[in-house]
Amino acid sequence: MKRVFGDRKTIAILLGPTLIVYVLLKLVPVCWSLGLSFFTGNTLSGFTFIGFANFVKFVGDPAAVQSLIVSIVFAVLATVGQIVLGYLLALLYVFVLRKGSAFVRTAVFFPMVLPTVAVALLFRNFVSVGANQGPINDIINFFGGKSVEFLASTIGTMGVALAMTLWSSMGFYAVLLYTGLLDIPDEIIESARLDGANGPRLVRHIVLPLSMPILLSSVIFSLNSTLKVFDSLLALNNGGPGTSTSPLTLYMYRTAFDYGDYGYGSTIALVLTLLCLAFTLTVFRSSSRKADA
Amino acid sequence: MINRRHRRTALAAGIALASVVSLAACSSGASNTGSTSGGGATGKDPAKFTVLTANENPALATELKNLAAGKCKAENSALPLVDQTVAQADVVQKITLLASQNALPVQFIAGTSMVRPDGDLGKNGLVLNYETALKKLGVWDDILPAAASTVNSVYGQMVSLPYQYNIEGIWYNKAIFDKLGLSEPTTFDQLMSDAAKIKDAGYTPFATDGADAWPVTRLIGMYIFRSLGPDAMKDIQSGKAKLTDAKYVKAAQEVQDMAKNGYFGSGFVSTNAAQANNLFLTGKAAMMYDGSWLLSNINDKSQDVIGADNVGLMPFPAVSGGAGSIDQWPANAGAAMAMTPKSYGPKVAAWLKCIAQNYGSQALQDSGIVSGFKINTPVKNIDAPTKMVQQKVSGIKQTVLWFEALMDAKSTALAQSNVSLLTTGQMSAQTYMSQLQSSIEANK
Amino acid sequence: MPEMTSTQQLVATNTAGRSRVRTTASRRAARILRRIPVWVLVAVLLIVVLYPQFWVLMGSFKSQTEFLSSPTWSLPTHFDLSNYVEAFTRGNVAVNYRNSILVTIPSVALMIALGVAAGYALEIMIWRGQKALLLLILGGIMVPGQMILVPLFIVYFKIGITGSLLPMILTYTVMGLPLTTFLMAAYFRSVPRELFEAATVDGCGPLKSFFLIGFPLMRNAILTVALVEFFSVWNDLLVALTFTTDPSLATIQVGLLSLNDQYGSTQYGPLFAAVSINIIVLMIVFIFLNKKIMAGLAAGSLKG
Repeated sequence: MKRVFGDRKTIAILLGPTLIVYVLLKLVPVCWSLGLSFFTGNTLSGFTFIGFANFVKFVGDPAAVQSLIVSIVFAVLATVGQIVLGYLLALLYVFVLRKGSAFVRTAVFFPMVLPTVAVALLFRNFVSVGANQGPINDIINFFGGKSVEFLASTIGTMGVALAMTLWSSMGFYAVLLYTGLLDIPDEIIESARLDGANGPRLVRHIVLPLSMPILLSSVIFSLNSTLKVFDSLLALNNGGPGTSTSPLTLYMYRTAFDYGDYGYGSTIALVLTLLCLAFTLTVFRSSSRKADA
Repeated sequence: MINRRHRRTALAAGIALASVVSLAACSSGASNTGSTSGGGATGKDPAKFTVLTANENPALATELKNLAAGKCKAENSALPLVDQTVAQADVVQKITLLASQNALPVQFIAGTSMVRPDGDLGKNGLVLNYETALKKLGVWDDILPAAASTVNSVYGQMVSLPYQYNIEGIWYNKAIFDKLGLSEPTTFDQLMSDAAKIKDAGYTPFATDGADAWPVTRLIGMYIFRSLGPDAMKDIQSGKAKLTDAKYVKAAQEVQDMAKNGYFGSGFVSTNAAQANNLFLTGKAAMMYDGSWLLSNINDKSQDVIGADNVGLMPFPAVSGGAGSIDQWPANAGAAMAMTPKSYGPKVAAWLKCIAQNYGSQALQDSGIVSGFKINTPVKNIDAPTKMVQQKVSGIKQTVLWFEALMDAKSTALAQSNVSLLTTGQMSAQTYMSQLQSSIEANK
Repeated sequence: MPEMTSTQQLVATNTAGRSRVRTTASRRAARILRRIPVWVLVAVLLIVVLYPQFWVLMGSFKSQTEFLSSPTWSLPTHFDLSNYVEAFTRGNVAVNYRNSILVTIPSVALMIALGVAAGYALEIMIWRGQKALLLLILGGIMVPGQMILVPLFIVYFKIGITGSLLPMILTYTVMGLPLTTFLMAAYFRSVPRELFEAATVDGCGPLKSFFLIGFPLMRNAILTVALVEFFSVWNDLLVALTFTTDPSLATIQVGLLSLNDQYGSTQYGPLFAAVSINIIVLMIVFIFLNKKIMAGLAAGSLKG
């Protein structure tokens, strides 16, 4: 057995190509870029070594701290929304709709297909006020409220951005979690039902614990991708109003490519990487603690 | 096991370090050889005449291709034209990358601060001085003096070809003005009272693209130029004045008041350019501050519902007691289109001569584009609005720039990102100006 | 011996039968009533999800003025195709779609091929350092993509491939590889080891074991991951922007940008036309793939 599963040549053949591509095209560039956080300048003007000055600058830079908060707030809210909505949808597919869920599943997944630019345009139009008011404000007026200019305030923009993200990706998480729910053996569910567990109790005591692994992977995946949100906040309101919805990725992109300071941009990227690492480890640790309990 | 892991980690760290050092060495910048070089065709001709234009400006690429097929056929067969594009948002990144790899196209769009003497391209000698080059070719007269002065003011040196020459002003709906008995206001106070009358009549006074921010900062800038004179922003850069001085702050205050009084219409902060254009061209708004590039929308019958004859253009009015005057039109020459001396060989020089002599007429004839080149071949059948703009352009004696024209990239971004906070009352005029001033000082 | 007499039995069964019939009828009514909130919920869900796409499709038939002047939900006045024509001529949509397809399919194929193999090696095979290597690859997910763009561009330029679609394919492959590998390893972990060990007892060599057992077992997982990565590559803007040097290399996302003018005004009609084509094409692909996915997922559920 060891001969088969420990066979060096096979490992090399299976792992080799991936490792080569990964090291050459990802690891080396990442080390180069992150190493540059100790320098200042760009590829055209050259780099000068400045030690930890960039990191000190980051801590004292109000724009940087603001983007950090924006990234964290967005990531947490979006992840909670995506996972909760996705899980509820998955439960809907498995327990309520059962065989008939295929059409609904596909329909809810479909927004994922649209490019971010188009989705942002769509939502901008739906929440617009003034001469050509969008349906959202029409609905608000219908219930007697005054039209709201969502994109003029930070909370409004953040809210629309979250709605946009949830709209396009809840179907994806629904499918991901649905696949995980399918793996739960029917016998366990049947026997639990016979024991009298129904509805919410069934979910809380049986389904939830059994689908924990896929839930955790989804949470990690969601955190990592929402922490790196870029397209949606940029396309919706250009990180505005002001810079109050500019996440770290946008600030890093502007610093490195628009203002030409690639070194400081790399520092911001390093902070973002550490943030992702911190969140992932926290999720891992809390999950293993749950497993021990 | 511990030893092996240590060895492996050490090996990995070593490789990483080695690659960092080697790649950093490989990509170190070009050498510093002064601000510009030019004049005689001292560079080496490349294989093709590569021109990098903005994705969003297809007209320029089209016109150059028309020249290549027509008036500049000979130059084209000697050195064929190849058009490349880049997204406007990506220009600075792309050009920085290409320049660092010695791969700049022959002619290319560049970021505003890059081509200045202290910019990344300028200080590395990567931009050609067109004045010397065109003078040597004997075609310097084909550049309109107003255009040359604008380019020099914005970039500090003649490093861009004026493929466009745009003036800015307040477009207005003649029918609405006639209906309400208004005439072109000559002072700012008159403009404000006109706006109030327009609002009471149920129209939006100013159609405003708040989403792009610069249409609003334009107004701040214009008030400053009218109140303090055409050198007002130059004084900020040189340190002679500060944005926190009373008269500068007043400009921001006036614009904030305009927003407060509802002169920009409801929901203007999230109104984008297409929506603002539509508001004006369908007659829902009486005025719109914009540039002469609006001509392409005005001349498009499907967009211009109010009719081309109904559209007038008036300059931003004077401020009573101000040092500026109403006939100082704001002008810009489009994005920087630079050339690099390294590839400025004799064949490229021939192309440059042909462009200078023929672009003006070609662009006006084909696309109704008003450029900063002289019209050498008379053009027939110009649309009435275009003709009006052309007449105004030819009468310009002195031009002014715009609010952020001389600012560095970071301060420009700050000016624009904060203006929506200013207009929605979330930030006071004093705070707006003081934050901007600190940014300008920090990035000098 | 307290047996029920036959009469008592008959009465008992009859009474029971009658009550069962009564309960079935009322239960059916109750079930339908209980389902109504579900149907309402599903209807609302479908409207929220599908209406915007319908709106985009309708918008593709409107002119710029019509789109901006008439109310958002109004239907177009005529169904002329001039926006589609403009998308194809000015927007260069055909070339963009060709490029998007030429870039996305090889990238996803490479990602899957490399990812499944690596996942197998990292999870099923047994050797020292595999956990560490898996974590190293996981770390790749945490780095923002923007940071590798500049060094990669420099490398591609130095080896002279920047005039082709190759830079994009390579970059997308390496960006999707960490997640694919990680997910594949996770799916492999959920398969009981006995399956693989049984194969070896039958005399299957290590490589053969992968191709004959490992790869086919992962059919559902591969389809799910392929779907996810397909859209993530198809909709990506940043990488495509960086490596597009001229219009003949532009993917559909870059192409959509060119429908703006330099002063920020968007041509809504052609934009919506291009996006609608996107929707229709992907819908066709989806329906085609969906049958396969359904079969795969069903097979998987039977296994559980």
